[in-house]
Amino acid sequence: MQSPVYYALVNPNLSILMNMCFIFQRITIPEIMKDEWFKKNYKPPVFYEKEDADLDDVQALFKDSEEYRVTEKKEEQQPTAMNAFELISMSRGLKLDNLFDVEQGFKRETRFTSKCPANEIISKIVKAAKPLGFDIHKKNYKMRLENVKAGRKGNLNVATEIFQVAPSLHMVEVRKAKGDTLEFHMFCKNLSSSLEDVVWKTEEDMQETK
Amino acid sequence: MIQCIEGFQTLFLRCCDLDYKQSRGLEDPELLARETVFSVSEIEALYELFKKISSAVIDDGLINKEEFQLALFKTNKKESLFADRVFDLFDTKHNGILGFEEFARALSVFHPNAPVDDKIDFSFQLYDLKQQGFIERQEVKQMVVATLAESGMNLSDEVIESIIDKACLQPCIADFTFEEADTKHDGKIDKEEWRSLVLQHPSLLKNMTLQYLNREIEEDEIPSRSSIHPFGERTYLKQ
Repeated sequence: MQSPVYYALVNPNLSILMNMCFIFQRITIPEIMKDEWFKKNYKPPVFYEKEDADLDDVQALFKDSEEYRVTEKKEEQQPTAMNAFELISMSRGLKLDNLFDVEQGFKRETRFTSKCPANEIISKIVKAAKPLGFDIHKKNYKMRLENVKAGRKGNLNVATEIFQVAPSLHMVEVRKAKGDTLEFHMFCKNLSSSLEDVVWKTEEDMQETK
Repeated sequence: MIQCIEGFQTLFLRCCDLDYKQSRGLEDPELLARETVFSVSEIEALYELFKKISSAVIDDGLINKEEFQLALFKTNKKESLFADRVFDLFDTKHNGILGFEEFARALSVFHPNAPVDDKIDFSFQLYDLKQQGFIERQEVKQMVVATLAESGMNLSDEVIESIIDKACLQPCIADFTFEEADTKHDGKIDKEEWRSLVLQHPSLLKNMTLQYLNREIEEDEIPSRSSIHPFGERTYLKQ
């Protein structure tokens, strides 16, 4: 098989490597990583997740600037109202994933509903998370829980947020912000057993049938 | 004598042609692949899933409502407002059953590569419970209540209802969301308003995309060797 002309302009080691990518026996990623050409100047990646949430409030706690302090004075009276369609989209009848019997792996976020007032939910979460070795950072109805001890992929960071569904009904979102997903899964299990009296329905409950 | 039988056979097959066509095996995967977002191999994999679901109760190569419920909830005893809407939208021929073509064309909308506009359209029709071409405040409230009422805990229906009724007497998210969406203030959410709402809150469409329809494998947090069957069970070789 003739290599295209431009391969000649490139480092011969690279050209051999590239050929291996195109021939019948496709080279695997681990094999590529062992190759000399690849290893030159290679720095293994650092794990950090893209956090979708707005970090302003968490950063406000750490940055002592005037600007952030002014915003903090106006405390939110109520948790944010969840979008009704966001809630509706959690219904099991709309989760067509279930048509596929595929092993879904561990989830990176979970939710539960509660009939307790928002402040009570917060204090109960704090009470449950502290003995598990987590530092708490709180702003309004959002919290960041950080595991003091590092795990498989750095320190597990969990973000929680409370949304209002109705004045007497709240939805709590618990999301992995950083770290290992399995550790997050274990954390959620521990948390849910400590929060039995707070939780009305978990997302799993909503998915299950009578 | 043999000719007589053969003649009878042909006549018999022709008579059944109408239904026979719909339940026949995978005829033309290329055609479906051309007309949907799926690749030919994805169509073939989808057909395997279709066969499994459609043979659960009656082995006729068609999915009826009961088989659909079974596939979604793992029980045929679950009534669901939403599953009914989904089934109705899949059933473009309006004959109470899903052939493979209807199944594939509908699921094409859920493919990660499907156009967002298709997803927006489908979800609008989904939530337009009375199929009036717009979503009313009452329908939003009804859907919120239906979602909250989906049970898992051992609460009796009355208890659940009383909790939800009490919660929804006061202004609840159904009202807030409706207010936010109904920018024209005409008491309805029309398709345009739905579109703006969804473009502002993309997460509202997250259940309109099924990653499993795309046959690329996610590498994240999976041990280096895994064997994945198309739309089947994933087995891991533990490190």
